[in-house]
Amino acid sequence: MSKVRLALSLATASLWYRRKVLALVCLTLTLSVTLLLGIQYLRTEIRQSFTSTISGTDLIVGARSGQLNLLMYTVFHIGDATNNIRWSTFQAMEQDSRIDWLIPISLGDSYRGFRVVSTNDQFFKRFQYGNDQALELSRGEWFDDLFDVVLGAGVARQMNHQIDDEVVLSHGGGRTSFANHTDLPFRVSGILSPTGTPVDQAVYISLEAMEAIHVGWESGVGIPGRTLSLERARARDYTPNSITAAFVGLSQPILTFQVQRQLNQSSQEPLSAILPGVALSELWRLMGQFERALLAISAFVVITSLIGLIAVLLTLQAQRQREIAILRAAGASPLLIASLYSFECVALALAACVFALTLGGSAIYGLSPWLLEQYGIQISLRALNRQEWLLLGAIPVAALTVSLLPAITTWWRSRKLGFGAAGDG
Amino acid sequence: MSTETEQIQASSITPASAITTRQLRFCWPGQASAPLFPDIELARGEHLFLHGPSGTGKSTLLGLLAGMLTPDSGTVELLGQPLNGMRSGARDRFRANHMGVIFQQFNLVPYLSALANVTLPCRLSSLRRARTEPNPDTAAMALLEHLAVPESHWQRSVTELSIGQQQRVAAARALMGAPEIILADEPTSALDADNRDRFLDLLLTLAEQSRCSVIFVSHDRALASHFHHQLALGGDA
Repeated sequence: MSKVRLALSLATASLWYRRKVLALVCLTLTLSVTLLLGIQYLRTEIRQSFTSTISGTDLIVGARSGQLNLLMYTVFHIGDATNNIRWSTFQAMEQDSRIDWLIPISLGDSYRGFRVVSTNDQFFKRFQYGNDQALELSRGEWFDDLFDVVLGAGVARQMNHQIDDEVVLSHGGGRTSFANHTDLPFRVSGILSPTGTPVDQAVYISLEAMEAIHVGWESGVGIPGRTLSLERARARDYTPNSITAAFVGLSQPILTFQVQRQLNQSSQEPLSAILPGVALSELWRLMGQFERALLAISAFVVITSLIGLIAVLLTLQAQRQREIAILRAAGASPLLIASLYSFECVALALAACVFALTLGGSAIYGLSPWLLEQYGIQISLRALNRQEWLLLGAIPVAALTVSLLPAITTWWRSRKLGFGAAGDG
Repeated sequence: MSTETEQIQASSITPASAITTRQLRFCWPGQASAPLFPDIELARGEHLFLHGPSGTGKSTLLGLLAGMLTPDSGTVELLGQPLNGMRSGARDRFRANHMGVIFQQFNLVPYLSALANVTLPCRLSSLRRARTEPNPDTAAMALLEHLAVPESHWQRSVTELSIGQQQRVAAARALMGAPEIILADEPTSALDADNRDRFLDLLLTLAEQSRCSVIFVSHDRALASHFHHQLALGGDA
């Protein structure tokens, strides 16, 4: 035991003595461990943020299509709907006693590349993300007037919009559109708080407004004379013929599969009802390949820097011949001398881990508000999970393993060491 | 001063003879023939001066005596114990317990302070720790003071010491915990005449106080008069 303590104190003193050279090695190791751990951490965080894009919704109902497609265009605003569902179908669902609430959404238009989601006040009341967090308005109010629009936080920031700004929507998706609804401009009534989900990247109008701006657009472009002026638009009453999809909340979650099957087998029209959680994890499985490759790359970076560490230790080994001779002459066993290398290597790895934790932690702490603000990515500081601890724990173990190379060569050489450095007799 | 120490040694080790070698031969790899070393018979507390030109195997002989080299033939007996029969681990322990070693130069572990260098043997051997009065640190300070190493240098890095100071710190380490045998391999060759004489005086005086046998290798025959015995290597081999 006292031998271990001696080896530890010698290793500590030796590390401190060589701190200038080893600081650089330690820095390399720290950066690579930060990279490895950071990628693993972000993987978990992004997955978390990804799978919590939508919560509290039991089913998403749209026209018959694949579940990924339906999920992509309703939640992530990527891709287009294959078809609409009839308003009568939606009304029938409203009558269903098993269904607690419904959020209708209609898609198709855009505002400078951001999707226009036409819905009703249920969206603001019922839509949830993250850990069942409800939407909040940072400024203004949810739309009330026919030509009110509510902006997602990202849209408001990027377009630099304030309450009461005038907004002209474009027909169809895409960043640039030649068909604008210039006759019927909208007024910004409210701006949502950042959520870190695609909700931030969309603008919200009422279902009635969606109908109103498309009167006279049945052929795909606005026919002059058939479109409405502002006064005439207000005078009309709108009931949509169809909507794109609906988010469904059930009164009892246990009924989910029953309702899903019934909707999928609906005789009124071909429908698809999907479970958002299942669809999200399937989507993540597809994207998971990429982030796993990223993790593997960062693992290689760590291995590379460990090899660098060994290269430095082997170079130092030549300088340490005298010291080894002195320790041997004082009666230190070859094992004790060899163990110095392992202790030093593991100590460097542990130091690198501590530095990496500090570096990573402060980076996340410092950057997370900015990331949410600028990119809508929500990354919070949290305790490491088991997998991350295991990954971190693997670093000193790997260091111990690679340290065996200089340790064994030293052990072998110091066994054969004569009096003094070499056998210069 | 050393009566207690003697009793400890007397109970475990034959006190009469420090070193006895018989018909020692050792051959380095690539060397044509193994030279025969003259037999050594050194009593406890007596000092031996070993001289001879370079390449006559002075360091090899010290390596054999220290148990760091294994002879091709012949026997080494230290304090009545045959070294040949011991496993390498036991030889390491024996060296830690009963031997002090001083090299020509670069004697000190560079990352330890002067004081830590001196107490090193006590951390490798509980026997030598037990022999220090009252504890290793105090004993080391006393030794450094005897050897005229300035107190301001004790806690400092050894690389800041002069060569003479370094050799005296090395001597203090060899003397630490009163080992029975000290092997010194040309420790004065890097010192000027003044430093050399003072070093030798201090080493031998302190060695005598603890009844320690010193084997001193040098090619400087002028030093021979300080020793009880002298032995020439190479001349007749």
